[in-house]
Amino acid sequence: MSALILCLVLSTYAPQQVGSPPLADPAAEARVERVGKQLRCPVCQGMSIADSPSNMARAQMEKVREMVRDGKTDAEIFNYFVDRYDEWVLLEPRREGLALLVWVGPMVVIGAGLLFVFWFIRARNQQPTLTPAAPAAPGAALPDDEYLRRVRAELDR
Amino acid sequence: MKKWIFTSLILVAIMGVLWFLFEERHNDPHAVPFKLSGKAAPAFKLKRLDTGEWVTLDQLKGQPFVINFWATWCGPCKLEHPVLAWGAKQFGGRVAFYGVVNEDSPENAQEFLRENGAAYPQLMDAEGLAGVDFGIAGVPETYFVDAQGVIREKYAAPIDPRTLVAKVGALLPAEARR
Repeated sequence: MSALILCLVLSTYAPQQVGSPPLADPAAEARVERVGKQLRCPVCQGMSIADSPSNMARAQMEKVREMVRDGKTDAEIFNYFVDRYDEWVLLEPRREGLALLVWVGPMVVIGAGLLFVFWFIRARNQQPTLTPAAPAAPGAALPDDEYLRRVRAELDR
Repeated sequence: MKKWIFTSLILVAIMGVLWFLFEERHNDPHAVPFKLSGKAAPAFKLKRLDTGEWVTLDQLKGQPFVINFWATWCGPCKLEHPVLAWGAKQFGGRVAFYGVVNEDSPENAQEFLRENGAAYPQLMDAEGLAGVDFGIAGVPETYFVDAQGVIREKYAAPIDPRTLVAKVGALLPAEARR
């Protein structure tokens, strides 16, 4: 939200430039929009360049449109932006190298958490339980225990 | 034994998180990364504001040069204009200075330069595409390019005289610095 407010405030100082018209081929223009949705705007950093109202984002969308018009693949367009702004520019990190951690990390942490809960419950269930001793049958011989003998002696006094 | 392994793993994880936080403590989370330092400047072909002639990257190679992206709607750009004008005179003949009017109209730029002086050539990038090629994240931004056309670094803020001298000096051989 703060990013949007900052973006709108900054935008008021920058006269909005008119972008080039959308590509004639609707499929190609949809691709421009789809690629733009996956690139982070340097001004409104929480937004994609397709959604940001900033001039910077508009210029970057123009670049994407130009590259789509020139027949570049999605990978070539993403590489162009990564070459300049690093992986930071990708709103959806790549599923390779260190960035793979972003995808795998949460699953590993959740898996480790589940394993811990499972281990904890099992360890708890395996602990010997303290069950009260069965009362001695009436008339049964009492154990010969020095301590008990002294307690009984005290009680009888 | 199992308890020890488990505790050690938890401790290692906590240490890892603390180390990461310690390493990142000075990093500005809003800073936009720049990956073109040490790489060839992107090719461009832009019109000069005063003469209308085309200027290309190849024409600029052979001498270190400074490229400043700016616009008249940007307050900090106006503030740093005298610093760059001073730098252009100070390093004249050894380092070339160029302004690139980014996302603005020629009329606005001409009016501003009439009032504030045009100490070095200005190139027009009304659509901002050359700026995107250079990896700008806004204006003002100043690029320091060596004689081979390699970007040595960029400065993404209004530049002050001391910083300008240091960064331009780094483009020059020791005997050429003054």
